[in-house]
Amino acid sequence: MRALVNLLFFPGGLFLIVLALTYEFLDRKLIARFQNRIGPRWYQTVADIVKLLIKEEITPATAHPTLFGVLPVVAMSGVLTAALYVPLLGFPSAFGFKGDLIVTLYLLSLITMCIGVAGWNSTSRFTMVGATRAFTQLFSYEAPFMLALLGPAVVAGSWQIGEIVAFQQGRWVLLTQPFGFVVAIIGLMGKLEMPPFDAPKAKSEIVAGALTEYSGRGLGFFHLAKEMELVVGMTLIAALYMGGIANPLEFFIKTLILLAILASLHCVLTRLRIDQTVGLWWRYGAVVVLLQWLVLIAWRGMVA
Amino acid sequence: MSTETTLQQAEQLLAGVAKGTAKPEANRLDVNLEGGDLVAAASALSKARWGYLSALTGVDLGPEADALEALYHFCEEDAVTTLRVKLPRHGGAVPSISDLYANALFFERELHEMFGVTVNGLADTSYLFLPDGWPEGVYPLLKDVDPYAAAQKVTGGEEPEMGRKGDKFIVPVGPQHPALKEPGHFEFSVDGELVTGASARLGYVHRGIERACQQQNYVQNLYLVERVCGICSHSHATAYTNGVEKLAKVEAPPRAQAIREVIACLERIHSHLLWLGVASHEAGFETLFMYSWRDREVTMDLLESITGNRVNYSANVLGGVKFDISPAQADAIRRGLDKTEERARHYLNVVTTDSSFLARAQGIGVTSTAEAETLGILGPTARAAGVARDVRVNAPYGGYKQFPVKIVVDQAGDLAARFKVRVEEIFESSAVIRTILDHMPEGELSVKFPRRIPPGEAISRFEAPRGELFYYIKSNGTDTPERVKIRTPSICNWIYVLKKAVGAQLADVPPLLASIDPCFSCNDRMVVINRPRRGRQVLTWDELRRHANTLARR
Repeated sequence: MRALVNLLFFPGGLFLIVLALTYEFLDRKLIARFQNRIGPRWYQTVADIVKLLIKEEITPATAHPTLFGVLPVVAMSGVLTAALYVPLLGFPSAFGFKGDLIVTLYLLSLITMCIGVAGWNSTSRFTMVGATRAFTQLFSYEAPFMLALLGPAVVAGSWQIGEIVAFQQGRWVLLTQPFGFVVAIIGLMGKLEMPPFDAPKAKSEIVAGALTEYSGRGLGFFHLAKEMELVVGMTLIAALYMGGIANPLEFFIKTLILLAILASLHCVLTRLRIDQTVGLWWRYGAVVVLLQWLVLIAWRGMVA
Repeated sequence: MSTETTLQQAEQLLAGVAKGTAKPEANRLDVNLEGGDLVAAASALSKARWGYLSALTGVDLGPEADALEALYHFCEEDAVTTLRVKLPRHGGAVPSISDLYANALFFERELHEMFGVTVNGLADTSYLFLPDGWPEGVYPLLKDVDPYAAAQKVTGGEEPEMGRKGDKFIVPVGPQHPALKEPGHFEFSVDGELVTGASARLGYVHRGIERACQQQNYVQNLYLVERVCGICSHSHATAYTNGVEKLAKVEAPPRAQAIREVIACLERIHSHLLWLGVASHEAGFETLFMYSWRDREVTMDLLESITGNRVNYSANVLGGVKFDISPAQADAIRRGLDKTEERARHYLNVVTTDSSFLARAQGIGVTSTAEAETLGILGPTARAAGVARDVRVNAPYGGYKQFPVKIVVDQAGDLAARFKVRVEEIFESSAVIRTILDHMPEGELSVKFPRRIPPGEAISRFEAPRGELFYYIKSNGTDTPERVKIRTPSICNWIYVLKKAVGAQLADVPPLLASIDPCFSCNDRMVVINRPRRGRQVLTWDELRRHANTLARR
């Protein structure tokens, strides 16, 4: 019974959806204000999802229909599952176990894989270019992003998110691993295909990228999955780097600070070309994180 | 060099092939040619680097004369040399000069489509402006052809083929695409992210304005040409009035000339700010887009306060202007300019120093000065590549004689340089407006203008925000022009995009397209064609008018 509540209402399911839509609204409103616009009303994000859910879904004739329908569901369930392992609102994760950090990271990548496959499956020219770009981007940020999030785990000596959070009581990993933190934030932007990493869905080039052919429910699911990933990703970074999350108040303060950072970066940067994205990650992101790992390993060696 | 020596030079260069010359105006030289000598004449001019090919005008001399004329206008500073080739009305042929002048390609295709002149050596003769399925052998600018009847016979053209073409992977852009707010169709074949081929199809908003001009009187045409473009409407109106005033030998009073220049400069400021937004949007910099469009509103409000309109200001009349600028309005303009300049300084700072922006603009689409000249590109696009061509400076017209502007040139030739040149032109325009407002000539706003215009030809060149706008107007002594040819700057700049897109990254193509500040409604210009469920629906001019009246009566 408790498991069912966990899955359907809190932290999975309904609660996460409401939280995701709220954060999406805050994100959009912030960006709009930064750009001297009015921005959406508070219920706009809900209205968008409701509209998408009741719209007709058109399946392209050349696409595999089952795959076309299943991919958005898989993407969404991946994020929902990931939410079970992170300390949402500051409560201990619902199904924490040893090594859940690794599982969470892979579950968070599932959505990008689904978007990429959806692009190839749609067989439109825009979606195929978009899918290629989505995968290229995945391969460029994924390794540095994972390494950045595993940094705190090495210090804490545990692969379990709950234990890393407990380890951080009173000290912020952010202070000892600032580079990892920066890479993790920028990695999250890449994962969410936020500007300046929005080349996979650059509308002035390839319309809507891999998801061009999705119109109704599927698009709504992908959209929702992305917004939930925003929340889960921010929770993860706050838990691993910003001194853990002990209560709801801390949760909101820390994630909202992260959201403000993401929104301002979104506003001040120009979209990167895909080759520039790859260059940025492998020339700088990966090198910085690896250097930090070297320092960490050396430090561990000395302490132990 | 004086205009006279420049023209003498041209005359010497063409002496071998000329079959008679004439000097209709102090700055013009007409040279009659045989069609076969065209390449020799063009290469003589191109070898001596005498000017650039500005326009190619087809003129139907009518069924009685049974002849056509193809006029190749070359411009150097304010001198214009016109090569006149006489052709039979049906089955005429000229050689292509697109090897010498790259921009001739689009001009020649237009000549072929509109007049049925065969252009030997033209690789692609598919329709560029006319709709697919336009009846073959109907050339809409021939006087005895009824293009409106022909438009009724348009059958459904072929749908553009989806998917792969051979083993090429083609990414289509347009006619409906988020990158283009106006309809045009481009096909870019790509290999991964690299563009390996590019082609264009225009004419989605071709409205047959040139033909319509031949059916209305000079005053009505003023309102028609103003609707060629919604952004640079004043440019079209002034280029046209300047031409007609030249034909009628009437000069607008100095105060009218000054007011025309003020509006032209305001128009340039609003157009450049609009462009700044569009171009940064294409490159993926939304914030700059939002801010530049907010700041453009200041200029739009000023234009509205002078003329009452945000677009299609309708400020000109033949022989003057309609609206005066009162001292109170002048003060309002000064205040608006203060604000605009302050913002423009900020934008100049952004486009020259912001590293994430420069990463997408610096070194992209680079053209050398020599290449820009051979391609025949115009306006800020050319000036950003070191080509110092600006009609306001080279061949000052109207108020620009009394209130000159400084030319803004940059040598870099890349996207970033185009941003820089356009933003700097905002300062230049603003400075000129201030000078004019401080020294506004007194006097009348307009003079009496004759209804009938004496026969003759006039060429009117005007520096629109996008580059040189070229009008050729021929009068036959009645109140209706015999021929109005409009050559807009965008049509000269396409060739640059198609050339530079090949070898570029796909992501750089939208900013490249935007960098020339393309204006589709300018270079297209036919009857409204939309497509309901069954076949095509074509509205003739009369039907359109009736339709508008029934709507108005409701």
